[in-house]
Amino acid sequence: MPETVDMLNALVLFTNFVLIPGVTYGSQLALGALGVTLIYAVLRFSNFAHGDIMAFGTMITILVTWWLQSVGVSLGPLPTALLALPFGIAATVLLCLFIDRYVYRYYRSQKSRPVTFVMASLGVMFMVNGLVRFIIGADDQRFFDGERFIIKAREFKKMTGLNEGLAIKTTQGLTVVIALVLVVFVFWFLQRTRSGKAMRAYSDNEDLSLLSGIDPDKVVRTTWIMAAALTAIAGVLYGLDKSFKPFTYFQLLLPIFAAAIVGGIGQPVGAIVGGYVIAFSEMIVTYPYKKFWNYLAPDEWQTSSLLQLLSTEYKFAVSFMILVIVLLVRPTGIFKGKVY
Amino acid sequence: MKKTLIAAALLATASAQTANAEDIKIGVFLGFTGAIESLVADMGPAAQLAIDEVSKSGALLDGSTVTWVRGDTTCTDSAAATASAERLITSDKVHAIVGGDCSGVTTAALQNVAMPNGTVMVSPSATSPALSTIEDNGLFFRTAPSDARQGVIVSDILNEKGIKEIALTYTNNDYGKGLAESIEKNYTESGGTVTINAAHEDGKGDYSSEVAALAAAGGEVLVVAGYIDQGGKAIIQASLDTGAFDTFYLPDGMVGDSLPEALGTDLDGSYGAAPGTDSEGAGIFAEMATAGGFKAGPFTAESYDAAALIMLAMQAAGSSESSKLKEKLMDVANAPGEKILPGELAKGLKILADGGEVDYVGASAVELIGAGESAGNYRQIAIEGGKLVTTGFR
Amino acid sequence: MNNALRATLAFSFMALALVGVGLYQSWALSLTILNLCIISSVMALGVNIQWGYAGLFNIGIMGFAALGGAAAMLVSTPPVANAWAAGGWNILFSAVGLIATIIVATLVYKNIPKGRLRSLAMIVVLVTGYLCTRYFFDPAVSAIESTDSAKTGFLGGLGLPIILSWPVGGLFAAGAAWVIGKVVLGLRSDYLAIATLGISEIVVAMLKNEDWLTRGVKNVNGLPRPVPYELQLQQSEWFTGLVEKLYANSLAGLEGAARSTVLKDALIEASSIFVKLCYAGLFATVLLIILTLCVLALNSPWGRMMRAIRDNETAAEAMGKDVTGRHLQVFILGSAICGIAGAMLTTLDGQLTPTSYIPLRFTFLIWVMVIVGGSGNNLGSILGGFLIWFVWTEAEPAGTWLMTFLTNWMPEGNAVKDHLIQGAQHMRLFLMGFILLLVMRFAPRGILPERHAH
Repeated sequence: MPETVDMLNALVLFTNFVLIPGVTYGSQLALGALGVTLIYAVLRFSNFAHGDIMAFGTMITILVTWWLQSVGVSLGPLPTALLALPFGIAATVLLCLFIDRYVYRYYRSQKSRPVTFVMASLGVMFMVNGLVRFIIGADDQRFFDGERFIIKAREFKKMTGLNEGLAIKTTQGLTVVIALVLVVFVFWFLQRTRSGKAMRAYSDNEDLSLLSGIDPDKVVRTTWIMAAALTAIAGVLYGLDKSFKPFTYFQLLLPIFAAAIVGGIGQPVGAIVGGYVIAFSEMIVTYPYKKFWNYLAPDEWQTSSLLQLLSTEYKFAVSFMILVIVLLVRPTGIFKGKVY
Repeated sequence: MKKTLIAAALLATASAQTANAEDIKIGVFLGFTGAIESLVADMGPAAQLAIDEVSKSGALLDGSTVTWVRGDTTCTDSAAATASAERLITSDKVHAIVGGDCSGVTTAALQNVAMPNGTVMVSPSATSPALSTIEDNGLFFRTAPSDARQGVIVSDILNEKGIKEIALTYTNNDYGKGLAESIEKNYTESGGTVTINAAHEDGKGDYSSEVAALAAAGGEVLVVAGYIDQGGKAIIQASLDTGAFDTFYLPDGMVGDSLPEALGTDLDGSYGAAPGTDSEGAGIFAEMATAGGFKAGPFTAESYDAAALIMLAMQAAGSSESSKLKEKLMDVANAPGEKILPGELAKGLKILADGGEVDYVGASAVELIGAGESAGNYRQIAIEGGKLVTTGFR
Repeated sequence: MNNALRATLAFSFMALALVGVGLYQSWALSLTILNLCIISSVMALGVNIQWGYAGLFNIGIMGFAALGGAAAMLVSTPPVANAWAAGGWNILFSAVGLIATIIVATLVYKNIPKGRLRSLAMIVVLVTGYLCTRYFFDPAVSAIESTDSAKTGFLGGLGLPIILSWPVGGLFAAGAAWVIGKVVLGLRSDYLAIATLGISEIVVAMLKNEDWLTRGVKNVNGLPRPVPYELQLQQSEWFTGLVEKLYANSLAGLEGAARSTVLKDALIEASSIFVKLCYAGLFATVLLIILTLCVLALNSPWGRMMRAIRDNETAAEAMGKDVTGRHLQVFILGSAICGIAGAMLTTLDGQLTPTSYIPLRFTFLIWVMVIVGGSGNNLGSILGGFLIWFVWTEAEPAGTWLMTFLTNWMPEGNAVKDHLIQGAQHMRLFLMGFILLLVMRFAPRGILPERHAH
């Protein structure tokens, strides 16, 4: 039987390297997937430009943050970017409405097939991608300021006397809190408000909702505004926690889609669950359990092997594998998504 | 009488100039776009600085002018690099090439274009050990040391510090992989243990899984064979944040002021080494770079030296043709001869024109060995008080 | 304007552009661009079969091209005897272990009725299989990768002529397409897009990380060529004779050293052009064969059925057509063509560089080619391949030039001006997206629209 200290060490180790990053990453994916799923539920296509629109919103926020920093505005321990966030959201909303007006609306009026929309979103992705790189460049940008940690690893070690440290970054705390607030808001909006109900009605049965006098343009507009806001916030949180780089945002597309589909595309609850499922499977499958095992196992079972199921190079393949398995076993996802 | 003689001599040189002077073109074949565009932004101007210096001096081959032509390697796309090299050699008709930069595209351009056309390539930054043994008809040289050499340096430094166990992570390309293998080989042979040798992909937002794996494997020091403005920095940041590692070894791609600037005093106690010398050359070159409006960043000294060596070899061979100058390139780079520093190219050219010998030292104290690659001088550094300080040379 | 005239005009324009490059830049460069144009067109043809014939949205072209590239390397490089000796048996054992696991798992799945027992049995089989495979695989990999890792460190290939790899590349891609198609075809149309995007990233990740097989990011250089080497040509007598004849005019009246200098330059130029012409001949043959097959297929009853399915799936299904089955067929065929093109590209490069596979260049660019050329029209795809590749290569200098020109009025050293010029390269992306959207909106049928045989 391992000693209590060892068990605590193992627990802290696991929390520090799997649990906390997993919850943070999962929240970021969930917000992204929520945006994808809203667009999908109402407009009925997979928006491939999602990652790059995230990058756009983040870019605007960064530019405003820099400006705020240069005039000396700050939020104390919290990052200044939170002040700049409304500007980022506003710009993203405008961009989305603009794109919808000049790209997607035409195809809606033509009653084009979903795949045409997807293709158009690919074109939008190109353009937004080029635009972002043109304005801010292809390099890494950091825009975090304020207090970096809620708990520092070294301080935790000193405080508890354990071998293993535990660190919680401010951005990790912020991400989880904001994600929670947003999710509650989205559900309240969809269940309780008139616009939200109209959105759900339109999503469930377009013809019937039109008969009952719902203005389709208004529904589409509301959807874009909600999705754009979620997208911008998800992008900024991700950028604050990690770093901003246009190419990274493009690569987020796959886990975000995987999250949305695994949860059941078109289902807000599914998007959130899917986000955490993807994030945790990535962490759990690629984590080497050597140290964890050695804390718990008796002396004669100590190992020098890494005990890693899959090397970290294939991390993103995990989200893909889960996607395939879900499609094979339950094509509609965990929460029975929409399949048109 | 004396005056007449001088006049006659002057007249003779003047007529010689008009007789044999030509317009020599040198290709600057680097990744102006793509993965290492931030480094190339300074490497390009460094090579051009040497070319302009010689051209202005009028000392090369009876007053020939030298101009540079740029070509983009993109660093990764060998098809695009081949097309670009094709343009430089067959359309712009360059006499020799400074480049390429990344090992993959350099090999493609060398084998598909430079060898068939018999054009000399001098790379300032392709460090893959594979290039030491590649079939090149004597056309390929590099002013950057092979990664095989750096592996020895890293192993030596770690052993001197009494480190017994390291974790190793590398950027997933031919540079990172080659260097990591070289470090692992040398360090293991000298009795050390490598607990994990894992890749990281540049340009990702999140490295928590990678750091978790490194932390689980453990080790006294984390060796980060990556790039300072890419995944390498993010790995260090995440390791510090989670308390996975406190001390890091920084190979050449990670040595730069921007790292301690970004991470502050948390990095104190880490150390590393990058190509560099305590020669006067490096200092002179840094001043020239500032005057020329670019940073003396990684591989810029090598770029300057690559261009300088090509032109010195032309002078020694008495011809701007690649087939002739390739025979002389090693001679001008190595002893015996008068030592030539950056900014003294005209002096070197003159000595060669008078039949003398030069030993080009240049900005990176270049010394070519083996199949025409730099022997490699390293500057050892440490991070103290949030600053990069030089602790020695080897 | 009818289609034949349009096509003739468009292709003459392309030919003119290439001749222009030949005259004003160099013939070797013009042929280099031509070769890449042909390869791009083959890829575009493959995508056109999927999208134009059947409306399948594949955004994993990069993965299929990379599989083709891997095939080129695996077929042509000589085997590395030491590496085989070091870990060959263990690799074979682990392969056997993997296959056995799959077979047993399938048997269990089929023979045990659905329930807790089956789930439990499946888990036991899979875990045991995984552990057995890893038991042989891990030591094999480290043994192979440590055999002379700076030069080899991989198993090598079969040492066969590289041209054989083109069909093999097609087979590899077809195999991958079969697996994906089985899983996602028949579900929503955009699931295919996401699945292909995912698989292409995984294929490239494997090429990068499975060093024992592909040497990973260390690249495999010097793949043998299907055509002569320039240096051999320059030294061979028959070629020298040929060049002497061709360049008789410029050699006339020259003697001794002057003659040999001119002859040497002529030899270099001619050998480089000769080699590229050989490649162009090979690639053009492949293009013509594939094009002919495509045209024949499109006009056959099969092609009519495909278009019927594309235009109205429900109706076709009601007529008793096996929509999913046909889709699978067409998806495999199209992917195989992409695989062939990928193998051709690696052959031309003479090396396998896994890091060069980036989605922008290998997936999205090809899509722009298909849409701009005219989806559903084979000639259109070829034209798109030529046009877009030409623009893509020549856009880099043009973009910089344009930005310099546009900012000409700004003072030297102006921050905005510098930023605009530095950022010019990113405009390429923006431009590609813009072209795509414009064509989709205002000329959805492309430059050479699909012909309707009513």
